Amino acid sequence: MWSELVKSDTELPFFFGAVCACESREPGAPFAMRSKNGKHTSAVGEVLDFSPPHRYAHTFKFTAYDDPPCTIIYELKETDAGVEFSLITENVPTGSKTEKSMGRGGPFIINNLKAMIETGRPTTSGGLILMMIRLFEGLTPKRCRSENWPLSKTAPSTAR
Amino acid sequence: MITEEDADRLFQAMAHTTRRKILDLVRHTPGVTVGGLAQSFDVSRIAVMNHLAVLEAADLIISEKDGRSRRLYLNAVPIQLIYERWSDQYSEMWAGRVTAIKYAAERSAKKETKT
Repeated sequence: MWSELVKSDTELPFFFGAVCACESREPGAPFAMRSKNGKHTSAVGEVLDFSPPHRYAHTFKFTAYDDPPCTIIYELKETDAGVEFSLITENVPTGSKTEKSMGRGGPFIINNLKAMIETGRPTTSGGLILMMIRLFEGLTPKRCRSENWPLSKTAPSTAR
Repeated sequence: MITEEDADRLFQAMAHTTRRKILDLVRHTPGVTVGGLAQSFDVSRIAVMNHLAVLEAADLIISEKDGRSRRLYLNAVPIQLIYERWSDQYSEMWAGRVTAIKYAAERSAKKETKT
């Protein structure tokens, strides 16, 4: 489960088809969630903690929103029944667009991560939603273009 | 404005993996002919044409006659409308559609083995 979660440079169905671009996972290292063709970036952040195979924490900011970065923590615990996976979000401003998206996105991530590990593919409804996301790629707002979100910073490099 | 019936037709259209593959191929090669498209599939040309009919009824694909061929394109305006509803933060419609998506996907998965 850990290795599925932290894969880089490959499309991740449970992260809405995004590719995680990063040069290292050392605390402070930046990452960007990019579209498969690299043209658009949906989110950026920095690694906070990378402790395989139990804990991975990073900051997270949607490029489409003006909200400040929040914190996301993944915890994996071995139990008799299998691996217990926790997805925790912290410092999300109440009523923000980030909060709404996190609420909608959380179950999608968890269900499709589970499906990827158990079946090698997303859930049936996940596949449908991933298709919609691919259809929409051409309609992504200009502010999300990858030129605005180089890996070295978490703030945009050009005015919008 | 996308109606509930349109949304249902849309989810049904996208619930089948063959139809999603068709959409991806048309997306990557706009103007592909029906014959050219059918070559990428193990299923019969008739099956591909049936799937295309579902996708055209859902307004996702349009076709244009080019001599004796038919060329296929993604249908940009409806997709734009769907996108606007999808990204509208205050829209309740998509929240309510989650069950419809799941139902359409599961129903289609049962039919998968035939086509």
